Amino acid sequence: MSAGYRQQPGNRSSKRTDGKRVAGKQVFPPPGSGGSRPVMKERDLDFIPESVGGKEPQPAGSHIHDRIRTGTVVGKSLSLVDSNAKVTGQAWYGDDVRLPNETIGKILRSPHHYAKIKSIDTSRVEALPGVISVATGQDAANSFGVLPVTKDEHAMAVEKVRHMGDLVACVCAETEAIAIEALSLFDIEWEVLEPVFDRKMGLEDVDEPIHWRGKYHLSRTNVQKRVFQEFGDRSLVDNPHAASHGKWSMEGVHHGFTEPHAVVAHWDPNGRLQLYTPQQVPHYTHRALSTVLDVPMHQINVIRTFVGGGFGGKSDPFPHEMCAAILSRKSGRPVRITFDREEVYWINRGRHPSDIEVKMTADDVGRISGFDIDALIDGGGFASFGHVTSYYNGVLATAPYELGSFHYTGARVWTNKPASGAMRGHGAVNTRCAVEVGLDEMAEQMAVDPIDLRLANLLPPHSRTITGFRITSNGMREALEEVRDGSKWDEKFRQLPLGKGIGVGCGFFISGSGLPIHWDPNRFPHATVHIQVDMDGGVTVHTGAADIGQGSTTAVAQVVAEVLALPIEMIHVRSHESDTAPVDLGSYSSRVTFMNANAAIRAALEIREQILNAAWDILGYHPNTLVLNDRRIYYKHDPSIGVSYLKALHKAQEDKGSLIASGAYRSPPMGGVHKGAAAGLAPAYSFSAYVAEVDVDVELGLVKCTNVWAAHDCGKALNPLAVKGQIIGSCHMGLGQVLSEKMVYGRTGHLQNANLLEYKIPSVHEMPHVVPIIIESCDPEGPFGAKEAGEGPLLPILPAVVNAVYDAVGVRFRDLPLTPDIVYKGIERKRKSLKLDDCLELPNPRLEHGPMQEVLVARANEHKTRDKARQRTEDTSHYVNGVLFGFDPNIPLEDQVDGWRMATEPDPEQLAELGLAGKAWLKKTQREMGRDD
Amino acid sequence: MTPSAPKTIWSATVNKKSFELLINSNAVLLDVLRDQVGTLGVKRGCDLGTCGCCTVMVDGEPRLSCLCLAGQVSDTAITTVEGLANGAHLAPIQACFAKYGGSQCGFCTPGFLVASQALLDDNPSPTDQEIADAIEGNLCRCTGYQQIIESIQEAAKIHRGEVAHPQPASDPHPDPHPDGPGEPSMPPGHAK
Ligand code: FES
Ligand code: FES
Repeated sequence: MSAGYRQQPGNRSSKRTDGKRVAGKQVFPPPGSGGSRPVMKERDLDFIPESVGGKEPQPAGSHIHDRIRTGTVVGKSLSLVDSNAKVTGQAWYGDDVRLPNETIGKILRSPHHYAKIKSIDTSRVEALPGVISVATGQDAANSFGVLPVTKDEHAMAVEKVRHMGDLVACVCAETEAIAIEALSLFDIEWEVLEPVFDRKMGLEDVDEPIHWRGKYHLSRTNVQKRVFQEFGDRSLVDNPHAASHGKWSMEGVHHGFTEPHAVVAHWDPNGRLQLYTPQQVPHYTHRALSTVLDVPMHQINVIRTFVGGGFGGKSDPFPHEMCAAILSRKSGRPVRITFDREEVYWINRGRHPSDIEVKMTADDVGRISGFDIDALIDGGGFASFGHVTSYYNGVLATAPYELGSFHYTGARVWTNKPASGAMRGHGAVNTRCAVEVGLDEMAEQMAVDPIDLRLANLLPPHSRTITGFRITSNGMREALEEVRDGSKWDEKFRQLPLGKGIGVGCGFFISGSGLPIHWDPNRFPHATVHIQVDMDGGVTVHTGAADIGQGSTTAVAQVVAEVLALPIEMIHVRSHESDTAPVDLGSYSSRVTFMNANAAIRAALEIREQILNAAWDILGYHPNTLVLNDRRIYYKHDPSIGVSYLKALHKAQEDKGSLIASGAYRSPPMGGVHKGAAAGLAPAYSFSAYVAEVDVDVELGLVKCTNVWAAHDCGKALNPLAVKGQIIGSCHMGLGQVLSEKMVYGRTGHLQNANLLEYKIPSVHEMPHVVPIIIESCDPEGPFGAKEAGEGPLLPILPAVVNAVYDAVGVRFRDLPLTPDIVYKGIERKRKSLKLDDCLELPNPRLEHGPMQEVLVARANEHKTRDKARQRTEDTSHYVNGVLFGFDPNIPLEDQVDGWRMATEPDPEQLAELGLAGKAWLKKTQREMGRDD
Repeated sequence: MTPSAPKTIWSATVNKKSFELLINSNAVLLDVLRDQVGTLGVKRGCDLGTCGCCTVMVDGEPRLSCLCLAGQVSDTAITTVEGLANGAHLAPIQACFAKYGGSQCGFCTPGFLVASQALLDDNPSPTDQEIADAIEGNLCRCTGYQQIIESIQEAAKIHRGEVAHPQPASDPHPDPHPDGPGEPSMPPGHAK
């Protein structure tokens, strides 16, 4: 382990007297330790080294949780535990909560892009019969935001509105008709300000920046966050053998969940707020409500309704949730606010519109010597998750490949548009597309197969990326091989006729964010799950995990059923109310299955132990020799000696009544120490590889994706049916982004397609045939080996399609989405440049393998053996990014290479050559300018 | 939401139960169903006829209830998702959506169920293309449609009598008693 790293989060590592490194004291057991050690000991990093995951050689496919497997449900395709409620129409979503005596709330939205509110007169509103209560920004001056570092939102505009559709005031009335009428009776005096729509303009100084950050404000610009990262040996990029340079422009896209936001607030007679909301992250709403309303958290109960799709779009605490609570407090009656489809787009939080520039180089043996990424992203009016997005755009592109160097500049700017935020594949999607297309281009220059180029440059399992992310299990190679075989790639690539094409893309995504946003992970775990078993034998699981349709409730129920060897019908998950659920960070960053299921396993193991001990009392055999099977516990060597589950349970309950256990999960110490090291840090990473086939109508520019082979490494499919559903669903969403979806802002900055007719989500006719392929790399720390499957599968579809379009018509497109007008123009340009009469005469690309091909294939084969040994932990040596370039993984790289960079700020001499977003580094903060107001 | 208008009496049969309600003469069917009849299973995704979540069957024909004035369908038989099941027994289409992953978040599901039930009533052996045509007005953001089509095909098999209707999933669990099987179960691979 190189010296440049320290455990993070956590204390500095200490040495034991025997010289072994150990992590700091951990109150909670390390994940994946399997529970055979009932009392937590100090974590022995040589036993489960950071980069190895278990000392004992394990055959591929086995996992540290395997010894507690009972073969009950894990790995079986089950329907979701709440699916019967959904197919009978009984699932209750936000707007289905109807409380007696309810009132209907409506929100007054800004008609201006950017304006100061000079005065609001509500007297005419209040005079309207049927109006119950009115509230404006003055009723709630406290700011909130999803990230503690950027709390820049208010329930309603306090001083100025920042985008059209921003909240100005709200009202509740006896009926919806009255509430809508009331909206027309506000008298407001505005002072209209000069808006900014163009993200490039966001880098310039203006009179009135959209937000003001005091001494941290960057000059007078609208830059919310700037990032610089440089790692590796920059000299490697000189004299490249192949290079790709692309400038991308990508439109903003929206989650397009089918359920519009809705909220019901009710101050109950005890003075407690009951808030019903379809939230992915009820806990943040809980916190924000407490801040905004000045009410302690224990006086608020946040009830998560069923969530009609989230995809990141329901993970911020929302101003309308605050509005409902304020109105309800004023009126003393329940308030229901439901958005119409247009309002859904005003609150947005979709993917950032981005300008991305990627330069990459390869050396003369086909190694990737450098990735240079520059990403300017358009944040809209508020910060939302943007701080993190700014990092993710760079750092999540550093794997699965081994890089010689990595250079990233990113900036997120505020503009007067609805706020961008987190969306499925958060921050990773756009740069991933740019990078994968760049690889395709380099492969073409080197005259090699792009799949072989990738296979020869993959990081192995149990390794570190260039920025210090710890990779454990890694199914990337297998995924690529599977899609290559499945799609008959070798017979098709560069061999199809004009208009038909095939392309490949890979993906890499976090499985849970390593740092809980709101607290020090040394003090609280990431996730907690409570289990209670009463006399009837049914198991109630309390978790705060928010099921948004992905099936996290089912996953939690499954792992508990698996540990206790009970049919899944006996597991009841209660996850709706913050009153009964332990605090949980909710459903984002693909953390739920990994973290909550791990916590649930720990809790279930405790219950299991109590039951086995009771069986020990009854049978006289030590628990180690007892087997738990379907509702029966028996002696391993003679199954006729046994006791029923219920008898053992009742025995265990003799002295204390129902059995209760709490389990927690926290991520292990990991990561580097540089600024921003925590962004992108995750206890495990998912990998995926897709091959897409397209049909391009060469004359019309219409692209249709016909087939997709989608391989995703989810560690272990706890529920293959659900994993396949996630893969296909991800394809659908990514396909929308690459082919048809965009938020269209007109010249006046107005959002022109805030409806589902003009915002083009693929219908059933646009869907290709998807072959989902599950790769199981069995993560050593995941619950029964599982990793995420909800977001990662979205990433590869974009570049796969763009690359396939190139294969079909020989034109590289770098503007997304690939709508027919863009494709048509690209084809026309090509036709003219070749002086052809008819676009049907276009030559499409062909591949003649060059000398490099053999080199790559040989290396890929070598690495395949290497990876197998590492996956099976037969080879437990350290591996860090850089070994491929001849560096010794056991010595800090900076000691081996002159000029090995690990920088988070540009050197002064670099300033001149920074890309678009990098220009943000030319500005000084107010503090540096000598002002600190 | 519509401007105020004179009231009128509206009668219809919803899920085999007859209703006589005082509604605004310009009330939209979706609002009447959700706010007055109480069939909250009918979902509102857009109010503009673009998502299909609000699909109901009017005299056996699928219809977008957000684009339909209640007055246009008075004295008809309306079936919502709540009316598909046979008592506590799920209809084949419902059981198959649950079993084959046709429903993830479930918000679009009522619309899909009604549209596909209408299809199967008409045509118990649809091709994939016919299914796609029948559900083209329904948006699903979660599933990517593939498992929905599979679910419908599986339900069609039940309709055609090729496969038995699976144990209706809303029946109580056949072995609710956790005491376990009477005979000791053998561990896998254990020969005695
Ligand atoms: S609500 Fe009727 S189609 Fe969307
Ligand atoms: S299941 Fe969520 S929209 Fe279809």
